[in-house]
Amino acid sequence: MNSFLVQTHGRPVPPAARIFSWLLVVLLVAALFSFAFSHLHYGWNWSAIWEYRQKFIQGWLMTVLISAASLLASLLIGLLTALARRSALLPLRYMSLLYVETIRGTPLLVQILILFYVVANAFGIENRYLVGILTLSLFAGAYLAEMIRAGIESISDSQLESARAIGLTRNQTYRYVIFPQVVRQLIPPLTGQFASIIKDSSLLSIIAVSEFTLNAQEVNAFTYSTLESYLPLAVGYLVLTMPVSLASRILERKFHYAT
Amino acid sequence: MIFRLFFLFVTMTACMTSGRSAAAESVKPLVVGMELAYPPFEMTDKVGKPSGVSVDLATSLAKSLGRPVVIENTSFDGLIPALKTGKVDLVISSMTATAERAKSIDFSDPYISTGLCLLLKKNSGAKTIADLDKAGAKIAVKKGTTGHIYATNHLKKAHILVLDKESAAVLEVSQGKVDAFIYDQMSTFQNWQRNKATTRAILEPFQQESWAIGIRKGNDDLKQRVNTFIREYRAKGGFEQLGDRYLKEMKGEFKQLGFRFFL
Repeated sequence: MNSFLVQTHGRPVPPAARIFSWLLVVLLVAALFSFAFSHLHYGWNWSAIWEYRQKFIQGWLMTVLISAASLLASLLIGLLTALARRSALLPLRYMSLLYVETIRGTPLLVQILILFYVVANAFGIENRYLVGILTLSLFAGAYLAEMIRAGIESISDSQLESARAIGLTRNQTYRYVIFPQVVRQLIPPLTGQFASIIKDSSLLSIIAVSEFTLNAQEVNAFTYSTLESYLPLAVGYLVLTMPVSLASRILERKFHYAT
Repeated sequence: MIFRLFFLFVTMTACMTSGRSAAAESVKPLVVGMELAYPPFEMTDKVGKPSGVSVDLATSLAKSLGRPVVIENTSFDGLIPALKTGKVDLVISSMTATAERAKSIDFSDPYISTGLCLLLKKNSGAKTIADLDKAGAKIAVKKGTTGHIYATNHLKKAHILVLDKESAAVLEVSQGKVDAFIYDQMSTFQNWQRNKATTRAILEPFQQESWAIGIRKGNDDLKQRVNTFIREYRAKGGFEQLGDRYLKEMKGEFKQLGFRFFL
């Protein structure tokens, strides 16, 4: 039954209905937040953080840099680890299994501290930004590896048999049969993981990497305006993660074909 | 008749509820905010209960006000926001009274005076704080402390590393990743003792400070009572007792090394 507020999923939504329903949602959320903030006895002080806007901008740019670098590196690590998990070489297979289980089973905070103060210190790597990016990439890489491996293994055997039947080599099978399908399946969890990387980069503040969160916290420490420092922080991260989800929706629509 | 009964009923209810709320007001707990990561002033004992100089001070203060005390463990840079939003009634966390902070909250009379000192890495050649104000120098500070404020305002050429925890900052110094850590005299001494092989300390303060109790602005009645308490507590030797209970060892060592000790 389709009416102004109801529309079965998959059917096109008339613009009027879309605007009306979005308006309803926005009003509800705004009402909730107004209620919450009205109960707060807080002296707002926006001028103080406007003075420090340079710190916010610098921190935001650093977060963009760190996230972008970690995104690329983690994708590479995830891909290699997923292939290593399916490798014929046993030490490689078990090494990647150990890596995935350890990284997925321990908190990122602990990993950052250990990798910077113990491992990097032992190897003499002083640059905390490099170590931070590496830690973040290793962290996300473990999760991505499992997602990619699940994607690869979800390709049914009949396809692999057909590929063998028409004489494709192993590499050709991967390239022309498996990966196009895997990429399509991977897009939702991958974008989720990418958004996660962007937000997890805030934890690098504990080793004094001067990214967005640390800069906002410093401004808070100087001006004692907590909410006025942290609200732009939330908006800043949204600005970073929204393009990722937008790109994800575009890609999903592009790769949407029956399998 | 009905009207008179109704009037009587309303008056009785009003008296009862106002009486109850007045009674409730006086036994409302005194919520004191502090960061329990600063021995021997704010710490937890082996079973996790808050203990230390500030905890005892808070307990005595609450007793003098006739209210039970509740210690709220909050990170240092979150104490002033917690006070401003009413999550805590007082801040007793070895917090220095600065002009900047006084714009946001009120402070009681000072109860301890101390100073900022340096914990240096072993092979650092610096002798004074001015030696560290040069390009290439790396200074660690703890977020939100007066060391952080001093470094930002006075050490313009050095690179300031802002860390969340004192332990991380000490680790950075002992691993040689930074040249110095600016913190208060006592903690600098303790950290130096624990890391004798990798650090050295300059225990002559380069900036004097005094600690005070933080009170929300507009709460003048509480402020007056806190000031009265501090005056009386000092007069009856309360601070000396605290010093003996928690700082005896440190007092002795400071005396041996020839440094001024406070309290």
